[in-house]
Amino acid sequence: MLLDIFDPKAPPKPIGIDLGTTNSIVATLRDGRPTALTNCDGASLLPSVVYYSHEGPILVGRTALSYATREPTRTIQSVKRFMGRAADDPETQRLGSYHFAMPTSDADAKSVRFELGTSRPTPVEVSAEILKSLRQSALDQLRGVGGVVITVPAYFDDAQRQATKDAGRLAGLDVLRLLNEPTAAALAYGLEKQKNGLFAVYDLGGGTFDVTILRLEDGVFQVKSTGGDSALGGDDMDRAVAEQMLSAMGVTTDAERAPELTSVVLAAARKAKEALTTQANVEVELPAKGGGSTVFRLSRAELDQLITPLLERTGRSCRRALRDAGLTAAELDGVILVGGATRVPRVRAYVSEVFGKEPLADIDPDLVVAYGAAIQAELLATQSDDVLLLDVLPLSLGIETMGGGVDQILPRNTTIPAGAKATFTTYADHQTGFEIHVVQGERELAKDCRSLARFTLRGIPAMPAGMARLDVTFSVDENNLLNVTAVERTTGLSQTIEVKPSYGLSDEEVERMLEDALDHGEEDFEARRLSDARVEAERILLASRKALAVDSDLLEAGERERIDAAIEALGIAVASAKAAASITAKIDWLADVTHAFAGRRMDRAIQSAISGKQLVDVEKRVEHAAGIEAHLSEKGLG
Amino acid sequence: MSDPFEILGLEPRFKLDLGALEARHRELSRALHPDRYAGGGAAERRQALSRAIEVNDALRVLKDPVRRAQALLARSGLSLEEGREPQAAPAFLMDVLELREELSVAGRAKDGAAVRRLGESIAARESQVLEALALGLAPLEGRDTAPTEPGALRGVSEKLGELRFFQRLLSEVRAIEDELL
Repeated sequence: MLLDIFDPKAPPKPIGIDLGTTNSIVATLRDGRPTALTNCDGASLLPSVVYYSHEGPILVGRTALSYATREPTRTIQSVKRFMGRAADDPETQRLGSYHFAMPTSDADAKSVRFELGTSRPTPVEVSAEILKSLRQSALDQLRGVGGVVITVPAYFDDAQRQATKDAGRLAGLDVLRLLNEPTAAALAYGLEKQKNGLFAVYDLGGGTFDVTILRLEDGVFQVKSTGGDSALGGDDMDRAVAEQMLSAMGVTTDAERAPELTSVVLAAARKAKEALTTQANVEVELPAKGGGSTVFRLSRAELDQLITPLLERTGRSCRRALRDAGLTAAELDGVILVGGATRVPRVRAYVSEVFGKEPLADIDPDLVVAYGAAIQAELLATQSDDVLLLDVLPLSLGIETMGGGVDQILPRNTTIPAGAKATFTTYADHQTGFEIHVVQGERELAKDCRSLARFTLRGIPAMPAGMARLDVTFSVDENNLLNVTAVERTTGLSQTIEVKPSYGLSDEEVERMLEDALDHGEEDFEARRLSDARVEAERILLASRKALAVDSDLLEAGERERIDAAIEALGIAVASAKAAASITAKIDWLADVTHAFAGRRMDRAIQSAISGKQLVDVEKRVEHAAGIEAHLSEKGLG
Repeated sequence: MSDPFEILGLEPRFKLDLGALEARHRELSRALHPDRYAGGGAAERRQALSRAIEVNDALRVLKDPVRRAQALLARSGLSLEEGREPQAAPAFLMDVLELREELSVAGRAKDGAAVRRLGESIAARESQVLEALALGLAPLEGRDTAPTEPGALRGVSEKLGELRFFQRLLSEVRAIEDELL
């Protein structure tokens, strides 16, 4: 193996992270090929397990897993299942070995908390521990870590995505993008195979199931439809087997299911399931009730039968995704398998039955998502024009109506980014506030959908009922995260919106957690902010210089001077600022003076896209820009 | 609403080549998707985001025949809001009532084949209406002003009303199929 030669000037490397239910992986591109980095366990797969020791230190990975049977309540596994979930979520009622904390207030009830006696971490904090460990591994091997792409199940809703992003922030990562797992897998396959066509990605992970239908055409990966179940995965197979084991052991009542026992049985069930991938029968010795032991036998045929109901749920999602894409299985060019649970032979056979063709699994299904994330991180960092991912909204967005119904504002499978406008009016005289409840899901009643946010529009001028006109704009960004703005039309006043996420953590809470990290002496909060601001400033400086060099003919008289002055000021701030705020102020200044120029550049990009000359142009520009970069780095500016 | 034909740089026509529409959308997305501006500042990314939203919105409008027809009308300063079209002919309404009844019977009986057959026959009738609409809207294509010849757009609003009925029926078919999948 070649050793990496230490280069102090080497730019930070972008990385991709698959934050999985069972395992997590960090990957990067080496010589253009995605490679998984070695984690603290010396392997590629880091068990997504966090152990909170009594003494304080927090362990992650295989060492943490070794505490699972001894101290199950302090060893958090499959934390991804609880991301963005409220304390009373049904997910907390399923077979598992955790103790959940009783919420102490309404705000507290918005997130699950694990009861550890001394602390009550949220899933966001637990996930941040896993991410921190991966970040450290990447730092050890790459020296500098740049932007990060973190993958999420395509079927994750807004709260689950926001929680994932918060965990990244808490772990000190610069999260460039949340990427859907099936899209990431397709990216890894697509670049490998250089093929155009229609593909289905069947992704059965530890705790989540996704199916995505996408078209790959000349470097554009366009998702046609997506479906799935964010609470269905390999874990459920383990649970089904564990239930059999528990009854074989004579354990019948809930009281007998102590966390220690549950944890032992779940681990045994997983081992048995894995063994049946290569053998037809398995025998497991289990402790019997009242002492001694009992031998539990399971055949592959019996396992197949146990998991059939789970597979049928995935089949329904697959058929619906095909229907939503307006396609039949016969029209697909290939089916890609993703996720460790697709190693189960019955799963593979089922997938080929549903789609009528043998699925592809030549890239390791455990690593393929991380590979895709690493590729996307690199593409974003280098601002490459070669590949573009066009994803969709997984679940319809709507607003609760007066009668408790749902008024759909954006249907599922809408290409993102997407936006919609809805107009509201007041229903009482002199009404000055208005409450809006945003939900996500396909059900007819708001209470059956997932509640995303409630917000109140305030400061509406007093008018007779029905006179005010509130234009509320919803926008879903490229990460599938929702944003809301509102304007009162009759007065033209933009209204204050107080968005209260129904689940998860507020911005203030995340901010507080970041500050708490300082108390624990992990890192200096302000120092980190400063370095984050520097990284961002460098990125913007590079992009601005590129833009000036490529599109200087679009500048108006005097504009160049204003932009140059702002660039110089930002450069000085980066070199000398002691506080993040003085850098961000200069970033804002530069954004202000380049706003119109950026708009004209986008107009030009649109024009060339429409006139179809873009390919030649792009090549020329890339060449030109590469020349500039070389020039800048020669001068030590880049 | 801004003109989706203009946003996507397409000739204003009711009969659109969906493949060409998608291809144009892909090219514009290449130019405008926020990922292209990942290196820029927050303000620039916001700017790209709102333009990408505009392009995706235009795509959605043009893919939906009712909204596409409305966009064509709007270009000429005409507007037809939902619910403002003239009352559909009684014979047509009877037809729709019958189809809906058959559909709910097939749905209750969980008869997937019958639901599919009904779906196909509704879709066939929908395409007839689309053909008629294309003819009716032809006087508007390639121009920015409303035609002054009397009766140039006769029948358009009625056909749009019929199209809405068929769309609603087809979405009921999809909802029932969802249950049966």
